[in-house]
Amino acid sequence: MSHVMEVKHLFSRLFSLKNGLSANRWAVRNYSQDIEISAAAVNRGNVTPLPPLSEAMPNLPPVIYSSAVTDDALTEVTVLSNGLRVASEKKFGQFCTAGVVIDSGPRYEVAYPNGICHFLEKLSFGATHMYATRDVMHRELEKHGGICDCQGSRDTTVYATSADSRGLGAVTQVLAEVTLRPQLTPDEIESARQAVAFELETLLMRPEQENILMDMIHSAAYKANTLGLPKICRNENVNKIDRDIILNYLKNHYTPDRMVVAAVGVEHEPFVEYVQKYFVDMKPTWHVDEAFVPNVDRSIAQYTGGMEQDDCEIPLYPGSDLPELTHIVIGLESCSHSDPDFVPTCVLNMMMGGGGSFSAGGPGKGMYTRLYTNVLNRYHWMFNATAYNHAYGDTGLFCIHAASPPNRIYDTTLVIARELANMAGKVGETELRRAKTQLQSMLLMNLEARPVVFEDVGRQVLATGKRKPPSYFINEIEKTTAEDVIRVAQRMLSTKPAVAARGKLAHLPTYDEIQANISNVKSDTSQGRKLNLFRA
Amino acid sequence: MLKVATTLRLVSRQGNQVRLLATAAGYKEALVNVPPTKLSVLDNGIRVASEDSGAATATVGLWIDAGSRYETYRNNGVAHFLEHMAFKGTSKRSQTDLELLVENMGAHLNAYTSREQTVFYAKCLANDVPAAVEILADIIQNSSLAEPEIERERGVILREMQDVESNLQEVVFDHLHATAFQGTPLGQTILGPTRNIKKISKSDLQNYIKTHYQPSRIVLAGAGGVDHQKLVDLANKNFSGLKNTVTDVEITPCRYTGSEIRVRDDSMPLAHVAIAVEGAGWTDADNIPLMVANTLIGAWDRSQGGGVNNASYLARAASSGNLCHSFQSFNTCYKDTGLWGIYFVAEPLQLEDMVYNIQKEWMKLCNTVTEGEVERARNLLKTNMLLQLDGTTPVCEDIGRQMLCYNRRIPIHELDARIDAVTVQNVRDVCYKYLYDRCPAVAAVGPTEGLPDYTRIRAGMYWLRV
Repeated sequence: MSHVMEVKHLFSRLFSLKNGLSANRWAVRNYSQDIEISAAAVNRGNVTPLPPLSEAMPNLPPVIYSSAVTDDALTEVTVLSNGLRVASEKKFGQFCTAGVVIDSGPRYEVAYPNGICHFLEKLSFGATHMYATRDVMHRELEKHGGICDCQGSRDTTVYATSADSRGLGAVTQVLAEVTLRPQLTPDEIESARQAVAFELETLLMRPEQENILMDMIHSAAYKANTLGLPKICRNENVNKIDRDIILNYLKNHYTPDRMVVAAVGVEHEPFVEYVQKYFVDMKPTWHVDEAFVPNVDRSIAQYTGGMEQDDCEIPLYPGSDLPELTHIVIGLESCSHSDPDFVPTCVLNMMMGGGGSFSAGGPGKGMYTRLYTNVLNRYHWMFNATAYNHAYGDTGLFCIHAASPPNRIYDTTLVIARELANMAGKVGETELRRAKTQLQSMLLMNLEARPVVFEDVGRQVLATGKRKPPSYFINEIEKTTAEDVIRVAQRMLSTKPAVAARGKLAHLPTYDEIQANISNVKSDTSQGRKLNLFRA
Repeated sequence: MLKVATTLRLVSRQGNQVRLLATAAGYKEALVNVPPTKLSVLDNGIRVASEDSGAATATVGLWIDAGSRYETYRNNGVAHFLEHMAFKGTSKRSQTDLELLVENMGAHLNAYTSREQTVFYAKCLANDVPAAVEILADIIQNSSLAEPEIERERGVILREMQDVESNLQEVVFDHLHATAFQGTPLGQTILGPTRNIKKISKSDLQNYIKTHYQPSRIVLAGAGGVDHQKLVDLANKNFSGLKNTVTDVEITPCRYTGSEIRVRDDSMPLAHVAIAVEGAGWTDADNIPLMVANTLIGAWDRSQGGGVNNASYLARAASSGNLCHSFQSFNTCYKDTGLWGIYFVAEPLQLEDMVYNIQKEWMKLCNTVTEGEVERARNLLKTNMLLQLDGTTPVCEDIGRQMLCYNRRIPIHELDARIDAVTVQNVRDVCYKYLYDRCPAVAAVGPTEGLPDYTRIRAGMYWLRV
């Protein structure tokens, strides 16, 4: 009898699919007497025989819990025959995060139409040779409770999945398929094209400016080379990028020596076996013979400094009474993440801190950092002032982003410029101690989340072949002195500023004015004192 | 025909049992790769629950069984007002001292209020747990509630109210509660009406603390690098002064009423609509099948693009028919009741089609949902529930919330087993029980002219069939 029911359901589904969604009203036939409803449901009793959630379920087998172990933060790395690196780490939890970290991003796009990596993000986790459609793959992942995403920065692309650890084999296969054997069908390319076009359109209609500003400040800092190349696809390239260009890019950049397959929350041995099977024994879509030499832009980032302006209207936040804003970012060249000055730069970044003037949250959000005490608490017209440090393999960019109403942008810009100059001045004992503790706790708190640990493992192994444990950085932070911070500040201030401005720019100071304000205070201490008077 | 149906039901019941056992057997071998949650109760009734993962950081917090549901018409807004006063200084330390103490530790303090729960928590380095517990104890026991700060926070809360009003989703959910639980405390907003915010006094705040911050209603939860015994000792040291003074706080049962509120505003571009039926309370075993049903409807927004592969039929319909900008299904629980439904944002001319499609999917859940769909939803639900338990704060929140809701923490393997045990029949039954031929609560804001009349929405809650 039950088979008859199943068949009937099957047919009703077939009809509904065949006839589309709107016209199937009469195609599905349901007879009320066919539908079985338990007496319990009709009588408003419980539909399952299980006890309420406040009581334990009977007949569950006893389980063995794991207990706290501290030495599991050891990263194991294996290099496979073709140069592919496999890194893994154990961690608590039913789930694991596994993924591929690739030395690929817009910084390598100089010989290609800019925007390939933007397309690749949209094309990620699509059809592959093994999985005929995106749907088949997602169902495979869903079986193991998996989710996936692909995110790129300027110099790294990350394909990541989180899933039940018991499904590691399937997850590794999915990762190999999407990175090495994507189909990139014309349909997929077309829908990626539409998604990119849609994103470009919405980007201009949204009040959030971060992505646009990051492209602008990088373009000002590294004019027309490597890290200065835009991450957001250019309008004119949306229709230019096609399957051949993308495949050519993949062939040259998705090579074993530029990839790390990493996982957190797994055993190393079986993981390496899976990677060997799916990444090494099975070949990529693009045929590579012995003689093929990948052609990659290996030039070192050239910091140029300079100014990027975009005089435009910035959309308002819907339904809020916030005023129209103009955004300014001032940047200076800092150092690469392998530089000995890297940790002091991070401490300095923490000491500058900052955030939004109306940001939510209780104590602990950095209320006593310099951009709050010296800037946001004093100049109430300022909407936001935040310090960022972007570190790459061969250079770094330290910047402060501020926003205020257009008529205040002159003051805002000069206040930020002077605050940058002031970094080479005195560093207080308490503020340094606070910045160091906050940086240490921020590092450890971020590493609570498995995907963050995964990315950290992947990026470090990609850059250096091994992973420095968190304890190494904790010690380095502890060692940082006031002199270190002043030294890195002076080093930064000796570079030409990079400036990006977006919004209504009628009141924007000139580049020379900004530069003068940054270098002025540094050379002349009496100016610094005068500045304090001006502030009070 | 009736007889046949009965036999079928018996068969499927047995199938259900077998399934359960099979799942249980599968877990015999497997280790649960999480630390256990340990629970202790202090003499004064404070429950201490923690999960020690040995991490270098930790989250500890107080989960209090108090919220806007315990307020009256007169003092609605007090619980939220107190949340604002929490970090404004205590009898031991001024606001600046408190802020500097927390900032210098590299810790974070946070607080939030919902209809049934008030939460204060701190995230810190594992070594600073004693300091964090002391701070939390200080702010709930010795908050100074100084008059000038109260006056200042009035302004801040009124400003926050404007922010909430610009968040249309919150506005719609407030209206939904106001209509579905009309005339009961659950119908009140968390922020309270302006007239209350303007006149809440120091004694109102003190009274609320005295009545509701009873040790028997407080849970101290911890996750991360937290040793259970040490946490219990800290609790004894910092909270032993609290005594239960009010023994029986009655909670008013909240009556559900199928009804609607429409706030028509044709100047807005999009309509924001919520439609819900009465769901189950926290502890009700029906909740798990209801959550599976909820997952079957799912969530979608336009940025996800062509939802042709989406597990949810409604998502596919919405993307191919351009029916809405976004939708999400929800299952909100309270002690003795709940709201199960959907929230969506759509253009005025699409409202009717959207509602038609929602109700079509709902009726499918009651009648023709299939094994394949339910299996997919079970997996998705497990993923959604388990994947978010990553990091000390989400785990601590889970412990605190579950302690208040279930008076225990449901072990992960039990949750897994409960979800696995949900059969197609359970989903149909639970939808038949809560959804089929029930009166919905409807709340809509914006250009709502095209939203079908209440009687038509009500008529879509059942099928007339041959």
